Amino acid sequence: MTVDPATVREPAAPDVDVAQRAASIRRKAAGYSLLGGLVFLALWTIAHFYLRNETFEYVPSPWEVFERMWGLIFGNPERNVAPGAVFVNFWETLRKVLIGWSAAVALGIPIGILMGRYRYARNFLFDFVYVAANVPLIVYAVLALILFGVGDTGPAVVVAIQILPFVALNVAEGVEGVDRNLLAMSRAYKRPTNDAVRHIVFPSFHPYLFAGLRVSFADSWKLGALAETFGGQTGVGVQIRKAFQLFAVADLLAWMFFFVIFVLLIERVVLMRLERYVFRYRLRRGEDVLRF
Amino acid sequence: MQRFKTFFFADKMARWTSRVLLLLFWQLGGNLSVRVPTPLGTLQFIGQEWSRAYEGAPWGVFNNELSVNLIVTLARAGVALTLVVLVALVVGYAMGQIWRIQASFTDLVVVGIALPAFIWALLAVMWFGFGNIAPVFVGFVAGTPMLTVNVFQGSRAIPRELRDMSESYNVTFRHRFRHLVLPSMAGFVMAGFRVAALATWGAVTLVEWFGNNQGAGHRAHYWYDTSNFDGLMGWGLIILAVVITLDRAVLEPLVRKARRWRGDITGLGSAREGKRTVETSDLELLERDGG
Repeated sequence: MTVDPATVREPAAPDVDVAQRAASIRRKAAGYSLLGGLVFLALWTIAHFYLRNETFEYVPSPWEVFERMWGLIFGNPERNVAPGAVFVNFWETLRKVLIGWSAAVALGIPIGILMGRYRYARNFLFDFVYVAANVPLIVYAVLALILFGVGDTGPAVVVAIQILPFVALNVAEGVEGVDRNLLAMSRAYKRPTNDAVRHIVFPSFHPYLFAGLRVSFADSWKLGALAETFGGQTGVGVQIRKAFQLFAVADLLAWMFFFVIFVLLIERVVLMRLERYVFRYRLRRGEDVLRF
Repeated sequence: MQRFKTFFFADKMARWTSRVLLLLFWQLGGNLSVRVPTPLGTLQFIGQEWSRAYEGAPWGVFNNELSVNLIVTLARAGVALTLVVLVALVVGYAMGQIWRIQASFTDLVVVGIALPAFIWALLAVMWFGFGNIAPVFVGFVAGTPMLTVNVFQGSRAIPRELRDMSESYNVTFRHRFRHLVLPSMAGFVMAGFRVAALATWGAVTLVEWFGNNQGAGHRAHYWYDTSNFDGLMGWGLIILAVVITLDRAVLEPLVRKARRWRGDITGLGSAREGKRTVETSDLELLERDGG
């Protein structure tokens, strides 16, 4: 009996399309997440109607907070809020945080290289790094207030001090993993030290550096705003302090939501893009490093 | 000469050199500037705080400005941390086991981690006023998302095959808990507990700074208002000292013990932690916090 190739069927496709199933799960998950948010809003509204106080509004309604947020974006002449107030203030804070970041990277890379290369430097600097990484935010804010008084220098400097240990430790970790054979080879072929640093040492620590910066971002943002609340002149922290002094719960909540939105926006959109760009060589190699 | 060299370049000596140099530079800076408090002045201040009786009552070891304020803050942080552990263990474990719960809570947890403790602190001061509720509330709110994320990851790390197998072979609950659940989750839970404890401590002191009549944070604010910078620095130092003692004496050994069977912690201590972050999962992104 001969088999006619035309009648041989491909093996039947599985009943469930895997991609479709994954999409369905994702849809369901989004539904539940929405449900969680709605339950939260419902609880908030109930709290608004039942928790009351004569002197000031305990829990403003969600729509009132939303209206304040709207006003902060597009301006609200009645409350004397200029259009784009949010962006101006967040830019002020971001500017300080970025200055702190740059300083931390500029100082942290040499310190990290020293710590990764020399045992003495590691022991010498260990305590500084350990303490700087574990200082509570309030102590940093107090320090900024003592050293720099009311002004814009304090927040930037303490953000730099706070990020420095992450940069240094991560760079040190990367430098420890440098391939000594490659260094020996570059010496044997009499390559200049500059080249060795650029092509051997730097690539071995830059993923670590990036990871350290990324993880410390949310923290530095919080510290920047906190230091502004303690003794700043411009920025989100100052606006939050003003809302607190006026007992304006609605304004405070509006700023709080903007805060979350900005942190998540930068984390999820800007930093993730940047990470994909920095690690694109790994993507090309097909490594599964980026798991989000 | 050689002996000098080996002496000064030994590990311990390097550490002590740096500590002594730090103190010297601090003292020097304090002497040069009016604003900067000196280490001697700060220490002296802490001594004075110790010898100052608390609000009229006769002086006692537990009745002076230093002990009373410190104990009050520690008690508040302790209560908050207990609540954090109770809630986060349940929610985190449920998130790991039931995907519906995971889907409904993930976004809330991410937002909770992104929210800075000091905004909660300001809200709590407006809502609850002075007293114990505000600090405990903020400590709870600041610590819970951190621990929840870690418990969640821990419960995901229980090997599914082993769980199914132990179920089909009728392994007793106690045995399963002791040999499967505990070892796979302990490392995550302890690491999360450490982060949550530090966050809670920072949050409690923050609330006390913004509005309270007792506690370490309140005392720091009190001396700031009287523009006594030695006092401000002194209390800052006390808050820091508690964190470091707690971390060194209790939390780090716990984390190490919980992870000892994996044997992957060596050398630079928290540097290893940094290594893990190269491969971050969705929730881990915002995990670290200091309050």
